[in-house]
Amino acid sequence: MGITTAAIVQALLEHLQITSLALALAVLVGIPLGIHIARERFLAGPVLAVVSAIQTVPSVALLGFLIPLFGIGIKPALVALFLYSLLPIVRNTFAGVSQVDPAAIEAAQGMGMSDRQILRHVTIPQSLPVLMAGIRTATVLSVGVATLAAYIGAGGLGAFIFRGITMVNSQMVLAGAIPAAALALVLDGLLALVERWLTPTGLRED
Amino acid sequence: MRRLRAIAVLMAILLFGAAALGGVLALLDRRSSSGDMVIIGSKLDTEGILLAEILSQRLEQSGLRVDRRFPLGGTKIVFEAARSGAIDLYPEYTGTGLMAILEHPPMTDPAAVLKVVREQFAARHDLVWLDPFGFNNTYALAMPQSLAERLGVRRISDLARHPELRAGFAPEFLARPDGWPGLREKYGLRFGDGPGTMDAGLMYQAAADGQVDVISAYSTDGRIDTLHLLVLEDDRRFFPPYEAAVLVRRDALARHPRLGEVLATLGGRIPEADIRKMNAQIDAGTKSAAEVAAEFLRK
Repeated sequence: MGITTAAIVQALLEHLQITSLALALAVLVGIPLGIHIARERFLAGPVLAVVSAIQTVPSVALLGFLIPLFGIGIKPALVALFLYSLLPIVRNTFAGVSQVDPAAIEAAQGMGMSDRQILRHVTIPQSLPVLMAGIRTATVLSVGVATLAAYIGAGGLGAFIFRGITMVNSQMVLAGAIPAAALALVLDGLLALVERWLTPTGLRED
Repeated sequence: MRRLRAIAVLMAILLFGAAALGGVLALLDRRSSSGDMVIIGSKLDTEGILLAEILSQRLEQSGLRVDRRFPLGGTKIVFEAARSGAIDLYPEYTGTGLMAILEHPPMTDPAAVLKVVREQFAARHDLVWLDPFGFNNTYALAMPQSLAERLGVRRISDLARHPELRAGFAPEFLARPDGWPGLREKYGLRFGDGPGTMDAGLMYQAAADGQVDVISAYSTDGRIDTLHLLVLEDDRRFFPPYEAAVLVRRDALARHPRLGEVLATLGGRIPEADIRKMNAQIDAGTKSAAEVAAEFLRK
């Protein structure tokens, strides 16, 4: 495996693909889950316990466990990243929704808003900073964990890192590590922009 | 009633998630049709990749179609991939099979180790060990050739006469019972202030530069030749054998009738000096594993 620009770009794209697909799925599941357990408090304990327990499984063990179910390649990598991304998203959504001022919700009810309208116009905007912080944490985490995709033949920047380590070739390690760090920063920055764009003007701090 | 509804909604969210995940996975399933191909894996290290490449090219020469799914991760992951059928075969070491996978206590006779792994892997995992390639990638002690000549050291037992030598060992080697603790006992060795700890990647260069005299090494590491080091003979047979061989699924041998016969042509064909030279060529970055493998097969 040579360190060519084309090879790095290809690995970067694979990395981006796995990370973004896993995150999209985790957001799709994690946010409804977080909102739901914030409303039905008796579910919060069990759900958060399960999601946290997943997080404690060592990544190599999780991959080993997923191979019989999903084979090798991008599929087990995607499932593993999805599972690891759930905790920050679910927990932060739960925390964000729980801290919304009950008075604001009461006021909204008093104005005759439906549950759905309250969710859209009060709960989500109020909890957005905490909720987005969860997604951003999950993003940075996923970019890091996605290097392990190289272990199961899903490619990505980890291929450079692990090959470089076994070959004692620090140039090759950096060819994977620097783009991975840059990717994490860029995605985090983009999400900061999304957060700003989603925040209603009245709630913006600046 | 409200609780039941809440649980039903929770289930609905999880089901929706599972469906979304399943949908994405189904979309990604583009390369599912490797039915008539032999799927080859390997670990991440240079030697693993090289052997997998040699196997792939040898099979292709014989008209078999090959799906290269390497490199993968460490022993646990590659073994799991072979056991579950995600790959058909990969190069493995008999000592790793014995101690890391079967969790059997160390043994030192290569033929006995091969016999145990053959029986156990066939019975438990439906995996077959073919005849080893002909080299042993085990722990070893190495020292600079010039120093060894000057002191008249060729075997590990010769070191007992030279407690003045400085040793630098990899942390793992210092800790494992089949490393320094056992070796010291078996040979009655002792080094001045005790062996120092060195990073496994750096110790070869440190020995070549004269910063240490004796290092723990892997016997097929390419740097042994390029840095003019000598592997000392393990004359009391302490280190467990790590003979490289093809580990292949029994059903793959049945599915491809010629597979076993073609793979068998590589048994005993790669001596230690050859694999070391090839590893060195790849680690130096001058040639790819595919190029080195092609050259080897042309011979």
